[in-house]
Order: sequence, then C-alpha cells, then structure tokens
Amino acid sequence: MSAAGPPQGANHAPSGGVGVHTRATADVPILAVENLVTVFRTGGGWHPAVRDVSFAVQHNETLAIVGESGCGKSVTALSIMGLVPPANGRVAGGHIRFAGRDLVALDEEEMRKIRGDRISMIFQEPMTSLNPVLTIGFQVAEALHYHRDMGRREASAVALELLDQVKIPSARQRFDDYPHQFSGGMRQRVMIAMALACRPELLLADEPTTALDVTIQAEVLSLLAELKAAYGMAMIFITHNLGVVASIADRVAAMYAGEIVEIAPVNELFARPTHPYTELLLRSIPRVDRDTGGLTVIAGQVPSIGAMPSGCRFAPRCPLRQPVCTSRDPLLVPLPDAPDHQVRCWLRAPPVEGGHA
Amino acid sequence: MTLPAPRGSSYALQQLARAFNANATSWIGLVTFLVVVALALLAPLISPYDPLEQDILARLQGPSAAHWFGTDSFGRDILSRLLWGARLSLVISTVSILAAVVIGGIIGILAGYVGGRFDMVVMQVMDVLLSFPSLIMGLMVVAMLGASMGNLMIAIALTAIAPFARIARAPTILVKERDYIEACRALGYSDLRIMTIHILPNIIAEILVMASLWLATAIRIEASLSFIGLGVRPPTATWGGMIREGFENILDSASLSIFPSLAILLVVFSLNMLGDGLRDAIDPKLRGGE
Repeated sequence: MSAAGPPQGANHAPSGGVGVHTRATADVPILAVENLVTVFRTGGGWHPAVRDVSFAVQHNETLAIVGESGCGKSVTALSIMGLVPPANGRVAGGHIRFAGRDLVALDEEEMRKIRGDRISMIFQEPMTSLNPVLTIGFQVAEALHYHRDMGRREASAVALELLDQVKIPSARQRFDDYPHQFSGGMRQRVMIAMALACRPELLLADEPTTALDVTIQAEVLSLLAELKAAYGMAMIFITHNLGVVASIADRVAAMYAGEIVEIAPVNELFARPTHPYTELLLRSIPRVDRDTGGLTVIAGQVPSIGAMPSGCRFAPRCPLRQPVCTSRDPLLVPLPDAPDHQVRCWLRAPPVEGGHA
Repeated sequence: MTLPAPRGSSYALQQLARAFNANATSWIGLVTFLVVVALALLAPLISPYDPLEQDILARLQGPSAAHWFGTDSFGRDILSRLLWGARLSLVISTVSILAAVVIGGIIGILAGYVGGRFDMVVMQVMDVLLSFPSLIMGLMVVAMLGASMGNLMIAIALTAIAPFARIARAPTILVKERDYIEACRALGYSDLRIMTIHILPNIIAEILVMASLWLATAIRIEASLSFIGLGVRPPTATWGGMIREGFENILDSASLSIFPSLAILLVVFSLNMLGDGLRDAIDPKLRGGE
C-alpha cells in the first residue's frame, strides 16, 4: 500500500512491523502517567474512578488499555486530555508528564494549545463526532488553521493531502461534502485525518473501531497502524476487544475498577496472563477454532465507584480469593523473571518480602 | 431525500432553500414581501407626488386618476405617503429585529453554552423582559426616552431580545452535548470558536425563521405606537401615523385609513406566510430523514 508517502518530512523509514520495539525503548517516554487519581462526584461524595494509575508510553509505541465497561479506561484518556468534565469530576492527584511537562499543572489555556496539536484523540462514534453543518474539508483544515496559523488556502491543501492519506476515495471531489454523505467507516477516516492533522506526538484512540462493522474495523486498524508507523507517534488504544489488541498493540495494560491490574508486552500477556482477571478476560474471547458449548463469563459486575470493596477490588469476583485479598490492597509488582510484566495480585505476584506497608 | 449539496453555500441556507421548494406559501410570502421592499426602495422614483406636499384645495378626496388612493386632510397624496411610509416601517422593523437577533442570539448562545448559575440568572432577567407585553414595553421605553425613530427602534428591539435569547438558548443546550462539540474540545478549540463556528451554524436556521415572524410583529408594534402618537412625529409619513390621521377623518373619507391598514395587513401577512412555511420546513418532526 506504499505507506501513503508521509508528506511533511517524516524523518524515518516506516517500520511496518507490528509489535516491534524499535529504537524507542531507550528513550525518555513521551508520556508518563504517575499515580493518577481522577475522582467523580456521586451521591454527595468524591469517589475515585481512576486510582493510582501509572504507566509510560514510548515514542512509536502502542499501548492498549483493556477492560470491561466502567473500569476507568476512558476516564484515564480524558484525564490525559484534560477533558474531565469540571462540573463533577477532577484529577485529584498524580502527574501526567508529557514531553517533559506535567499536564496536570497546566492551565486550560496552555492545555488547549497541546490538545489537537501535540496530543489528539479519536472517538468511538464516527456517526456523531463530525459537525453535520460543516464540510469535511473545512473540518479537517480547521485544526491546521487554528493550531498552525495556516491560511485557509494552505490549510485546505494540507487537509486534502491528509484525506488522501487516510484513503478517502476521490478526496478532491468529496472535499466540500457534508458528513451525512459519508459512511461510518469513511467518517472515522475523516476523524483520523482531523486528529492527525497537526502530526501529534501522542494519539489517544478511544474504541475507534467499536461502532464499525468487522471488515471496516480491519481496514481502519491497518490504516491506524500504518499512519502511526509513518508519523512515528505514540498511541494509546482503548478497547475491550482483545482481538484488536493482539493485532495493534505493543504493550497491554488491563484495567479493573479504576486500577491497572496487569501490564505487559502484548506477546507476554497473551502467552502468560497472570492476573486472574486478565486470565478470565482472555478466556472469555469467543474462539472459532475451538468447539465449545458457550462462552466463559466472569461472574458478577464491576463494582460501582461509590461502593469499592476493600483490599483487592477484583476479590469478590475472583475464583482464587484468599483472606488476604479482602483485607489489604495488593500492589502492582513486576514478576521475578520478567521485569516488564507487572501484576497486582497477592497470590500470583506476591511482593518481595520486607517491601511494602 | 437529500439532494446533492451545492458547493460552497452554507448549510443553513441550503436548509432554507429546501424549505422553500417544499412549501408554496413561503414562496408567495417571500415574493409579496420582496415586492413591497422593492416599492419602498423605489419610492423616490415612482411616487407620483412629494409625500409632504400639501394641496389644501384637494383635501380628503377619494381615489381618482390623479390621486389613486385619494388624499388626506392636508391634501397630501396617500399613495406617495404609503410608499415613503413603507421605507420607514421597513427600516425601523429591520434594524430593530436585526439588533434583537444579534443581542438576543449572543445572550442565548452564551447562556446555553456556559450553563449553570450564569444561565439561570440571565434567563431569569429574560423572563422578566418577556413578562411585559410588547406594546406595553414599547410604551414604557418611548415614554421614558421620548418619541423618536431611534427610540422606537430601541423599544422594539428590547421587546424582541428575550424571545431571541430563548430561541437561541434551547438548541445551544442540545448541540453543546453532541459528540462533535466534545471532539472540538479534544482538538483544543477555544470556547468562542466552538460557539461561533460550530454551534451557531447548527442553530441559525431556527433563529432566521423566528426573525421573519418577528419582522411582522415589529411592523405591527411600530404601527401601534405611531397610531397612539408615540412613534415618529408628524409630518413624516408612517403607516401607523396615517391610520391615526385617517381615523380622525373616518366619517369624511374611509380610504384615508383603509389603505395604510391594507398595507400593514399585506406585509404582516406575507411575512407570516414566509415564516410559517420556513418553520414547518425546519421542524424536525415534519422534516424527512437526514
């Protein structure tokens, strides 16, 4: 597919391979989230929806965040974007270090300059994420006009190039069309073009393929992977679809009830899921190559943020539950033989003794 | 279903254009109104007499070949006064409604977008304004500031600001919760930009429809205030003022008040037809699937 010739001087060869850590590992991470706590107000009190979340993303790396609905994936993304709705939510603790700056400490004005320019986001619903009364050409060009001070004509030229890159057929003819004249898959491509217009260093993709049908999903995923490689940007890919994770991620973080319960390189995680939640999550994927009667399900539900169990939050649903699980919070610790594979579980990853309070 | 969009024209205009094609009455309304506007613009060229020129020997005449619509108590030509009066009526109503659209629109969009306590306070002030019937409000303003063309416009604009604030606020609240506005925030756009470039075009059609209906109301208010002597001072020709003069001589010559009344009726009727047609067309309940 000729990698759509990166237009504005991408200074490295597109490394097409999936799951390849290129030179990036040694670098300073582009994004480092440290002990992030994001709280929401429900029923009179503030409750953490995201608790003590730490992870880092390197240049050129894709981190997938997986977990079932309500486990804090999207809130993590909104916290990074600084878009937690101020009426009933806020980042209450921790740091989000992006390219050497702590985003938590920035004011709205500075944050606005970063959003859409250096960090972009793609949303789940392509059908409703484009303004119905503005042409797609205008909407793609707008980010360039706004963040890059480009004149309308110049911005339009670059926007057209972007639409070509995201493989909108006959982009020139469709430049002045309105969103309702596009299919869902095409609209998601337009969204991608908008998000990538200013060549962000970090892209947050919040379930970008969930609303699309399966064949279109595959196309959009390969497009994202291709553009990510061409642009050399980091990506955080939020999904509950583990099949998608396997095809696009370098590393995976599994979240449960606002905490990261396991984080590991993608092959490691699929080969050796260690936290009971991750294990059950992987077992609940429908398989076409096995002849089973039904799907494995995880009994119970994610606890609501106002009623978190003490100790390990997964304990009430965990088949391996021990007394220690419900009395003390487990810590996210590396496995002895794999330092980049961290697990939050008293039984599967007991902390080294003498360690933690 | 959806027609291919003409390139380059704005979506709101397309929406209105589609409304016209669907509705014959809005065409009739528009054409009638445009004819009146054209006559008013051409008044200096086509009016047969000077509207202020008195001919005391020919006073209170009925329609004739020399004076199509007759003459008034000073012998002035009624047709000429009607044509010149149209200019005044249209200027006063257009300027005042334009002011109300801009001010009310800004207030409504701001209140809807900002929300919370700001919204509450602003809209309560608007409710207070709304609680005055438009004629009473006009009376108050003119009584306080004095009768002049400028004050008449201020009075009419004041009565219309609150309705426009309301009509702008409601769809703003709906639109600001849409995913594409969230996407705008994720792209780092400022609130001002989101309001002007992303919200306004979504709600402008509703505001324009409202404006066409309010234009008719403004002409009525202007005529009413002039009728009770609080409008533009004589001898300047205004439709309301002419009806009033005609009223004083109604037993001598009915045509004196009938013709300006018909003129007001015609304009108000055409604007209402126009507005009703447009409103039906953009009403989501009546509009075909998008």
